[in-house]
Amino acid sequence: MTEPHDEIEELLAGYVLRGLSGPDAARADALLSDHVPTCAACRDSLTRFQGITAELAFAADPLPPPDLLLTRLHRELRPRSRRQGPARIFAVAAGFIVVAGLTGLTVSQGMRAGGLQERANHLSSMLDLASRPDAEVTSLAGTGSPAPLTEISAPGTEVFYLFGRDVPPPPAGQVYRVWLVAGDASTPVGEFRPDDGLVAIRLAFDPTRYDEILITVEPEASEPGDPADVVWRAAS
Amino acid sequence: MADLDVEDLELHRRLSDGERDAFDELYRRYAPTAYGLAYRLTGQQILAQDVVHDAFMALWRAPEAYDPARGGFRTFFLSLVHHRAVDTVRREERMRKRTERAANLEPVVGEDVAEGVVDLAAIGERRREVREALTTLPAEQRQVLEMAYFDGKTQAAIADELGIPLGTVKTRTLAAMRKLRRALYRED
Repeated sequence: MTEPHDEIEELLAGYVLRGLSGPDAARADALLSDHVPTCAACRDSLTRFQGITAELAFAADPLPPPDLLLTRLHRELRPRSRRQGPARIFAVAAGFIVVAGLTGLTVSQGMRAGGLQERANHLSSMLDLASRPDAEVTSLAGTGSPAPLTEISAPGTEVFYLFGRDVPPPPAGQVYRVWLVAGDASTPVGEFRPDDGLVAIRLAFDPTRYDEILITVEPEASEPGDPADVVWRAAS
Repeated sequence: MADLDVEDLELHRRLSDGERDAFDELYRRYAPTAYGLAYRLTGQQILAQDVVHDAFMALWRAPEAYDPARGGFRTFFLSLVHHRAVDTVRREERMRKRTERAANLEPVVGEDVAEGVVDLAAIGERRREVREALTTLPAEQRQVLEMAYFDGKTQAAIADELGIPLGTVKTRTLAAMRKLRRALYRED
Protein backbone atom coordinates (compact mmCIF):
# COMPACT_ATOMS: atom_id res chain seq x y z
CA MET A 1 0.00 0.00 0.00
CA THR A 2 2.07 2.87 -1.23
CA GLU A 3 -0.62 4.89 -2.96
CA PRO A 4 -2.60 7.03 -0.54
CA HIS A 5 -5.81 6.31 -2.39
CA ASP A 6 -5.26 2.57 -2.06
CA GLU A 7 -5.06 3.05 1.66
CA ILE A 8 -8.15 5.22 1.61
CA GLU A 9 -10.02 2.65 -0.47
CA GLU A 10 -9.04 0.01 2.05
CA LEU A 11 -10.60 2.08 4.79
CA LEU A 12 -13.69 2.85 2.73
CA ALA A 13 -14.18 -0.84 1.98
CA GLY A 14 -14.00 -1.63 5.68
CA TYR A 15 -16.22 1.31 6.50
CA VAL A 16 -19.11 0.32 4.27
CA LEU A 17 -18.94 -3.23 5.66
CA ARG A 18 -19.17 -1.86 9.22
CA GLY A 19 -15.85 -3.58 9.79
CA LEU A 20 -13.68 -0.82 11.20
CA SER A 21 -12.82 -0.28 14.81
CA GLY A 22 -10.36 1.69 16.91
CA PRO A 23 -7.90 3.91 15.03
CA ASP A 24 -9.15 2.73 11.63
CA ALA A 25 -12.67 3.88 12.46
CA ALA A 26 -11.42 7.25 13.62
CA ARG A 27 -9.25 7.62 10.51
CA ALA A 28 -12.19 6.74 8.26
CA ASP A 29 -14.44 9.23 10.02
CA ALA A 30 -11.84 11.93 9.53
CA LEU A 31 -11.47 11.06 5.85
CA LEU A 32 -15.21 11.06 5.33
CA SER A 33 -15.39 14.45 6.91
CA ASP A 34 -12.34 16.09 5.36
CA HIS A 35 -11.04 14.34 2.25
CA VAL A 36 -13.81 12.33 0.63
CA PRO A 37 -16.22 15.25 0.10
CA THR A 38 -13.57 17.01 -1.97
CA CYS A 39 -12.19 14.01 -3.88
CA ALA A 40 -14.20 12.78 -6.84
CA ALA A 41 -12.34 9.47 -7.00
CA CYS A 42 -12.99 8.71 -3.35
CA ARG A 43 -16.62 9.76 -3.59
CA ASP A 44 -17.02 7.42 -6.52
CA SER A 45 -15.33 4.56 -4.66
CA LEU A 46 -17.51 5.15 -1.63
CA THR A 47 -20.67 5.19 -3.74
CA ARG A 48 -19.67 2.01 -5.54
CA PHE A 49 -18.73 0.23 -2.33
CA GLN A 50 -21.98 1.29 -0.69
CA GLY A 51 -23.80 -0.09 -3.69
CA ILE A 52 -21.99 -3.39 -3.37
CA THR A 53 -22.77 -3.79 0.31
CA ALA A 54 -26.42 -3.14 -0.42
CA GLU A 55 -26.43 -5.66 -3.26
CA LEU A 56 -24.79 -8.27 -1.03
CA ALA A 57 -28.14 -8.46 0.72
CA PHE A 58 -29.23 -10.49 -2.28
CA ALA A 59 -26.72 -13.17 -1.40
CA ALA A 60 -28.75 -14.04 1.69
CA ASP A 61 -31.70 -16.30 1.10
CA PRO A 62 -34.86 -14.21 0.98
CA LEU A 63 -37.44 -15.07 3.59
CA PRO A 64 -41.10 -14.20 3.68
CA PRO A 65 -41.53 -11.99 6.72
CA PRO A 66 -44.26 -12.97 9.16
CA ASP A 67 -47.67 -11.67 8.08
CA LEU A 68 -47.99 -9.95 11.42
CA LEU A 69 -45.07 -7.70 10.60
CA LEU A 70 -46.93 -5.77 7.92
CA THR A 71 -49.98 -5.65 10.17
CA ARG A 72 -47.81 -4.21 12.92
CA LEU A 73 -46.37 -1.65 10.55
CA HIS A 74 -49.80 -0.63 9.29
CA ARG A 75 -50.94 -0.14 12.84
CA GLU A 76 -48.05 2.22 13.49
CA LEU A 77 -48.21 4.18 10.24
CA ARG A 78 -49.67 7.54 10.91
CA PRO A 79 -50.06 10.47 8.58
CA ARG A 80 -46.98 12.55 8.85
CA SER A 81 -47.32 16.01 10.30
CA ARG A 82 -44.86 18.70 11.13
CA ARG A 83 -44.04 18.85 14.79
CA GLN A 84 -42.74 21.85 16.59
CA GLY A 85 -39.35 21.26 18.07
CA PRO A 86 -38.79 21.71 21.75
CA ALA A 87 -39.83 25.19 22.74
CA ARG A 88 -36.81 25.49 24.97
CA ILE A 89 -34.42 24.98 22.10
CA PHE A 90 -36.12 27.47 19.83
CA ALA A 91 -36.45 30.05 22.53
CA VAL A 92 -32.80 29.83 23.41
CA ALA A 93 -31.70 29.70 19.80
CA ALA A 94 -33.59 32.86 19.03
CA GLY A 95 -31.58 34.67 21.64
CA PHE A 96 -28.14 33.42 20.73
CA ILE A 97 -26.20 33.09 17.55
CA VAL A 98 -22.98 31.74 18.97
CA VAL A 99 -22.64 28.11 18.12
CA ALA A 100 -19.66 25.86 18.53
CA GLY A 101 -19.24 23.21 15.91
CA LEU A 102 -17.31 20.01 15.60
CA THR A 103 -17.13 19.65 11.87
CA GLY A 104 -17.22 15.94 11.35
CA LEU A 105 -14.98 14.61 14.02
CA THR A 106 -12.56 17.46 13.96
CA VAL A 107 -11.88 19.00 17.31
CA SER A 108 -13.45 22.37 17.80
CA GLN A 109 -11.04 24.84 19.23
CA GLY A 110 -13.71 26.67 21.13
CA MET A 111 -16.87 28.64 20.92
CA ARG A 112 -15.17 31.51 19.19
CA ALA A 113 -13.79 29.41 16.36
CA GLY A 114 -15.26 29.88 12.93
CA GLY A 115 -17.01 32.81 11.34
CA LEU A 116 -20.33 34.20 12.30
CA GLN A 117 -21.94 32.82 9.16
CA GLU A 118 -20.62 29.36 9.91
CA ARG A 119 -22.03 29.50 13.40
CA ALA A 120 -25.36 30.65 12.09
CA ASN A 121 -25.36 27.78 9.62
CA HIS A 122 -24.73 25.32 12.43
CA LEU A 123 -27.58 26.78 14.39
CA SER A 124 -29.90 26.69 11.42
CA SER A 125 -29.06 23.05 10.73
CA MET A 126 -29.67 22.15 14.34
CA LEU A 127 -33.08 23.78 14.29
CA ASP A 128 -33.95 22.02 11.05
CA LEU A 129 -33.13 18.69 12.65
CA ALA A 130 -35.00 19.51 15.85
CA SER A 131 -38.10 20.46 13.89
CA ARG A 132 -38.26 17.19 11.98
CA PRO A 133 -41.36 15.18 12.89
CA ASP A 134 -39.25 12.20 13.84
CA ALA A 135 -36.60 14.14 15.75
CA GLU A 136 -35.51 12.58 19.00
CA VAL A 137 -34.66 15.03 21.74
CA THR A 138 -33.35 13.52 24.94
CA SER A 139 -31.56 14.85 27.98
CA LEU A 140 -28.15 13.44 28.70
CA ALA A 141 -27.91 11.43 31.86
CA GLY A 142 -25.34 12.32 34.46
CA THR A 143 -24.47 14.49 37.36
CA GLY A 144 -26.75 17.36 38.15
CA SER A 145 -30.49 17.49 37.77
CA PRO A 146 -31.81 18.32 35.33
CA ALA A 147 -28.93 17.57 32.96
CA PRO A 148 -28.01 20.78 31.14
CA LEU A 149 -27.27 19.06 27.82
CA THR A 150 -29.75 17.71 25.29
CA GLU A 151 -29.05 15.33 22.44
CA ILE A 152 -30.89 16.01 19.18
CA SER A 153 -30.97 13.33 16.51
CA ALA A 154 -33.24 11.74 13.94
CA PRO A 155 -33.47 8.30 12.37
CA GLY A 156 -31.58 7.85 9.16
CA THR A 157 -29.14 10.66 9.72
CA GLU A 158 -25.55 10.59 10.83
CA VAL A 159 -25.67 14.02 12.44
CA PHE A 160 -26.17 14.62 16.14
CA TYR A 161 -26.30 17.84 18.09
CA LEU A 162 -25.53 18.37 21.72
CA PHE A 163 -27.26 21.49 22.88
CA GLY A 164 -27.34 23.11 26.27
CA ARG A 165 -27.56 26.32 28.17
CA ASP A 166 -26.57 27.01 31.73
CA VAL A 167 -23.85 24.43 31.27
CA PRO A 168 -21.40 24.93 34.09
CA PRO A 169 -17.82 25.69 33.09
CA PRO A 170 -15.30 22.93 33.73
CA PRO A 171 -12.89 23.48 36.60
CA ALA A 172 -9.96 25.77 35.92
CA GLY A 173 -7.36 24.18 33.64
CA GLN A 174 -9.81 21.56 32.44
CA VAL A 175 -12.10 21.06 29.44
CA TYR A 176 -15.05 18.90 28.50
CA ARG A 177 -14.06 16.09 26.18
CA VAL A 178 -16.51 14.27 23.88
CA TRP A 179 -16.08 10.51 23.31
CA LEU A 180 -17.76 7.99 21.07
CA VAL A 181 -17.97 4.55 22.63
CA ALA A 182 -18.20 1.24 20.78
CA GLY A 183 -18.05 -1.73 23.10
CA ASP A 184 -14.90 -1.42 25.13
CA ALA A 185 -13.32 1.11 22.78
CA SER A 186 -13.67 4.84 23.38
CA THR A 187 -12.62 7.39 20.78
CA PRO A 188 -12.08 11.03 21.78
CA VAL A 189 -13.57 13.30 19.12
CA GLY A 190 -13.33 16.79 20.50
CA GLU A 191 -13.25 19.20 23.39
CA PHE A 192 -15.35 22.19 24.31
CA ARG A 193 -15.99 24.89 26.85
CA PRO A 194 -19.41 26.49 27.27
CA ASP A 195 -19.65 30.11 26.18
CA ASP A 196 -21.63 31.88 28.86
CA GLY A 197 -23.19 28.53 29.58
CA LEU A 198 -24.20 27.90 25.96
CA VAL A 199 -23.15 24.77 24.07
CA ALA A 200 -24.19 23.66 20.59
CA ILE A 201 -22.02 20.93 19.14
CA ARG A 202 -22.42 19.14 15.86
CA LEU A 203 -21.24 15.55 15.65
CA ALA A 204 -21.22 13.60 12.39
CA PHE A 205 -20.78 9.86 12.76
CA ASP A 206 -22.42 6.57 11.97
CA PRO A 207 -24.69 5.78 14.94
CA THR A 208 -24.74 2.08 14.16
CA ARG A 209 -21.06 1.88 14.98
CA TYR A 210 -21.21 3.50 18.37
CA ASP A 211 -23.19 2.76 21.49
CA GLU A 212 -22.79 5.86 23.51
CA ILE A 213 -21.65 9.46 23.65
CA LEU A 214 -19.71 10.37 26.76
CA ILE A 215 -18.72 13.77 28.09
CA THR A 216 -15.83 13.80 30.50
CA VAL A 217 -13.83 16.44 32.29
CA GLU A 218 -10.15 16.26 31.39
CA PRO A 219 -7.04 18.36 31.97
CA GLU A 220 -6.65 20.89 29.20
CA ALA A 221 -4.28 19.80 26.40
CA SER A 222 -3.90 16.38 27.98
CA GLU A 223 -3.22 13.35 25.83
CA PRO A 224 -6.47 11.38 25.54
CA GLY A 225 -6.29 8.03 27.25
CA ASP A 226 -9.45 6.38 28.49
CA PRO A 227 -12.50 8.36 29.59
CA ALA A 228 -12.28 8.81 33.32
CA ASP A 229 -14.40 11.48 34.91
CA VAL A 230 -17.70 11.01 33.07
CA VAL A 231 -20.17 13.79 33.72
CA TRP A 232 -22.82 13.12 31.05
CA ARG A 233 -23.69 10.29 28.74
CA ALA A 234 -26.26 9.47 26.05
CA ALA A 235 -27.00 6.51 23.82
CA SER A 236 -26.05 7.19 20.20
CA MET B 1 -32.31 -2.85 -13.21
CA ALA B 2 -32.75 0.65 -14.60
CA ASP B 3 -36.52 0.25 -14.78
CA LEU B 4 -36.56 -1.07 -11.24
CA ASP B 5 -34.55 1.93 -10.07
CA VAL B 6 -36.93 4.33 -11.78
CA GLU B 7 -39.92 2.58 -10.27
CA ASP B 8 -38.31 2.66 -6.83
CA LEU B 9 -37.73 6.36 -7.18
CA GLU B 10 -41.35 6.98 -8.05
CA LEU B 11 -42.51 4.78 -5.18
CA HIS B 12 -40.28 6.71 -2.83
CA ARG B 13 -41.69 9.98 -4.10
CA ARG B 14 -45.23 8.77 -3.49
CA LEU B 15 -44.28 7.44 -0.08
CA SER B 16 -42.85 10.85 0.73
CA ASP B 17 -46.27 12.25 -0.06
CA GLY B 18 -47.77 9.91 2.51
CA GLU B 19 -49.17 7.28 0.14
CA ARG B 20 -49.49 3.99 1.97
CA ASP B 21 -49.88 2.05 -1.26
CA ALA B 22 -46.34 3.06 -2.15
CA PHE B 23 -45.15 1.93 1.26
CA ASP B 24 -46.82 -1.43 0.73
CA GLU B 25 -45.27 -1.87 -2.70
CA LEU B 26 -41.78 -1.12 -1.40
CA TYR B 27 -42.46 -3.54 1.44
CA ARG B 28 -43.53 -6.22 -1.05
CA ARG B 29 -40.39 -5.66 -3.08
CA TYR B 30 -37.80 -5.53 -0.37
CA ALA B 31 -39.15 -7.06 2.83
CA PRO B 32 -38.19 -10.64 1.89
CA THR B 33 -34.64 -9.60 1.07
CA ALA B 34 -34.46 -7.43 4.16
CA TYR B 35 -35.88 -10.12 6.41
CA GLY B 36 -33.62 -12.79 4.94
CA LEU B 37 -30.59 -10.59 5.48
CA ALA B 38 -31.62 -9.63 9.00
CA TYR B 39 -32.27 -13.23 9.91
CA ARG B 40 -28.94 -14.34 8.44
CA LEU B 41 -27.20 -11.80 10.65
CA THR B 42 -29.18 -12.03 13.86
CA GLY B 43 -30.18 -15.69 13.81
CA GLN B 44 -33.44 -14.92 15.55
CA GLN B 45 -36.85 -14.25 14.09
CA ILE B 46 -37.81 -11.68 16.68
CA LEU B 47 -34.62 -9.71 16.18
CA ALA B 48 -34.93 -9.92 12.41
CA GLN B 49 -38.49 -8.68 12.62
CA ASP B 50 -37.41 -5.76 14.74
CA VAL B 51 -34.67 -4.84 12.28
CA VAL B 52 -37.04 -4.87 9.33
CA HIS B 53 -39.76 -3.12 11.28
CA ASP B 54 -37.43 -0.36 12.37
CA ALA B 55 -36.04 0.10 8.88
CA PHE B 56 -39.47 0.46 7.29
CA MET B 57 -40.69 2.74 10.05
CA ALA B 58 -37.61 4.93 9.61
CA LEU B 59 -38.41 5.09 5.91
CA TRP B 60 -41.98 6.13 6.61
CA ARG B 61 -41.15 8.66 9.27
CA ALA B 62 -38.22 10.28 7.51
CA PRO B 63 -38.33 9.54 3.78
CA GLU B 64 -36.13 12.54 3.16
CA ALA B 65 -33.27 10.58 4.68
CA TYR B 66 -32.94 9.04 1.23
CA ASP B 67 -31.34 11.47 -1.17
CA PRO B 68 -31.67 10.31 -4.80
CA ALA B 69 -28.58 12.34 -5.67
CA ARG B 70 -26.51 9.96 -3.55
CA GLY B 71 -27.56 6.73 -5.26
CA GLY B 72 -30.38 4.31 -5.83
CA PHE B 73 -33.15 3.66 -3.36
CA ARG B 74 -32.27 -0.01 -3.14
CA THR B 75 -28.74 0.84 -2.06
CA PHE B 76 -30.04 3.20 0.58
CA PHE B 77 -32.65 0.90 2.01
CA LEU B 78 -30.73 -2.37 2.03
CA SER B 79 -27.74 -0.57 3.54
CA LEU B 80 -30.04 0.74 6.24
CA VAL B 81 -31.24 -2.79 6.97
CA HIS B 82 -27.70 -4.12 7.04
CA HIS B 83 -26.51 -1.39 9.36
CA ARG B 84 -29.34 -2.00 11.78
CA ALA B 85 -28.81 -5.74 11.67
CA VAL B 86 -25.09 -5.40 12.37
CA ASP B 87 -25.85 -3.03 15.19
CA THR B 88 -28.31 -5.52 16.62
CA VAL B 89 -25.83 -8.37 16.37
CA ARG B 90 -23.14 -6.39 18.15
CA ARG B 91 -25.46 -5.38 20.94
CA GLU B 92 -26.62 -8.94 21.34
CA GLU B 93 -23.08 -10.20 21.47
CA ARG B 94 -22.44 -8.12 24.48
CA MET B 95 -25.21 -9.91 26.30
CA ARG B 96 -24.35 -13.42 25.32
CA LYS B 97 -21.97 -15.25 23.11
CA ARG B 98 -22.88 -15.84 19.53
CA THR B 99 -22.38 -19.56 19.91
CA GLU B 100 -25.07 -19.73 22.54
CA ARG B 101 -27.49 -18.03 20.23
CA ALA B 102 -26.53 -20.30 17.36
CA ALA B 103 -27.29 -23.30 19.53
CA ASN B 104 -30.77 -21.94 20.05
CA LEU B 105 -31.29 -20.94 16.46
CA GLU B 106 -34.99 -21.02 15.84
CA PRO B 107 -36.26 -23.15 13.00
CA VAL B 108 -37.81 -20.64 10.70
CA VAL B 109 -38.31 -22.38 7.38
CA GLY B 110 -37.89 -25.67 5.63
CA GLU B 111 -34.99 -26.75 3.53
CA ASP B 112 -35.83 -24.39 0.73
CA VAL B 113 -35.60 -21.15 2.61
CA ALA B 114 -36.56 -19.10 -0.41
CA GLU B 115 -39.79 -21.01 -0.85
CA GLY B 116 -42.77 -18.70 -0.78
CA VAL B 117 -40.78 -15.66 -1.88
CA VAL B 118 -41.60 -14.39 -5.33
CA ASP B 119 -39.07 -11.82 -6.46
CA LEU B 120 -39.75 -9.26 -9.10
CA ALA B 121 -37.98 -10.48 -12.21
CA ALA B 122 -35.40 -7.72 -12.00
CA ILE B 123 -34.65 -8.48 -8.38
CA GLY B 124 -34.38 -12.18 -9.11
CA GLU B 125 -31.92 -11.43 -11.89
CA ARG B 126 -29.82 -9.23 -9.63
CA ARG B 127 -29.87 -11.92 -6.97
CA ARG B 128 -28.39 -14.35 -9.47
CA GLU B 129 -25.75 -11.84 -10.58
CA VAL B 130 -24.65 -11.12 -7.04
CA ARG B 131 -24.39 -14.78 -6.12
CA GLU B 132 -22.49 -15.54 -9.28
CA ALA B 133 -20.10 -12.67 -8.60
CA LEU B 134 -19.44 -14.01 -5.12
CA THR B 135 -18.49 -17.40 -6.51
CA THR B 136 -15.72 -15.80 -8.54
CA LEU B 137 -13.93 -14.58 -5.43
CA PRO B 138 -10.97 -16.54 -4.11
CA ALA B 139 -12.00 -18.44 -0.99
CA GLU B 140 -9.89 -16.38 1.39
CA GLN B 141 -11.35 -13.12 0.06
CA ARG B 142 -14.89 -14.38 0.20
CA GLN B 143 -14.32 -15.60 3.73
CA VAL B 144 -13.32 -12.22 5.16
CA LEU B 145 -16.06 -10.48 3.20
CA GLU B 146 -18.75 -12.80 4.51
CA MET B 147 -17.46 -12.68 8.07
CA ALA B 148 -17.74 -8.92 7.97
CA TYR B 149 -21.01 -8.66 6.10
CA PHE B 150 -23.02 -11.62 7.34
CA ASP B 151 -21.51 -12.10 10.78
CA GLY B 152 -21.15 -8.41 11.58
CA LYS B 153 -17.55 -8.88 12.69
CA THR B 154 -14.99 -6.10 12.69
CA GLN B 155 -11.82 -6.57 10.70
CA ALA B 156 -9.88 -6.77 13.95
CA ALA B 157 -12.15 -9.56 15.19
CA ILE B 158 -11.76 -11.39 11.89
CA ALA B 159 -7.99 -11.14 12.13
CA ASP B 160 -8.10 -12.55 15.65
CA GLU B 161 -10.42 -15.35 14.70
CA LEU B 162 -8.44 -16.39 11.63
CA GLY B 163 -5.07 -15.79 13.23
CA ILE B 164 -3.89 -13.54 10.42
CA PRO B 165 -2.60 -9.95 10.47
CA LEU B 166 -5.16 -7.16 10.39
CA GLY B 167 -3.45 -5.82 7.28
CA THR B 168 -4.13 -9.08 5.50
CA VAL B 169 -7.81 -8.84 6.33
CA LYS B 170 -7.87 -5.32 4.94
CA THR B 171 -6.06 -6.32 1.77
CA ARG B 172 -8.33 -9.28 1.13
CA THR B 173 -11.42 -7.22 1.81
CA LEU B 174 -10.40 -4.51 -0.62
CA ALA B 175 -9.50 -7.06 -3.27
CA ALA B 176 -12.90 -8.69 -2.85
CA MET B 177 -14.72 -5.39 -3.06
CA ARG B 178 -12.84 -4.38 -6.18
CA LYS B 179 -13.64 -7.67 -7.87
CA LEU B 180 -17.30 -7.30 -7.00
CA ARG B 181 -17.24 -3.74 -8.22
CA ARG B 182 -15.93 -4.87 -11.59
CA ALA B 183 -18.44 -7.68 -11.81
CA LEU B 184 -21.54 -5.85 -10.64
CA TYR B 185 -20.88 -2.52 -12.26
CA ARG B 186 -19.28 -3.92 -15.40
CA GLU B 187 -16.08 -2.04 -14.78
CA ASP B 188 -12.93 -2.96 -16.69
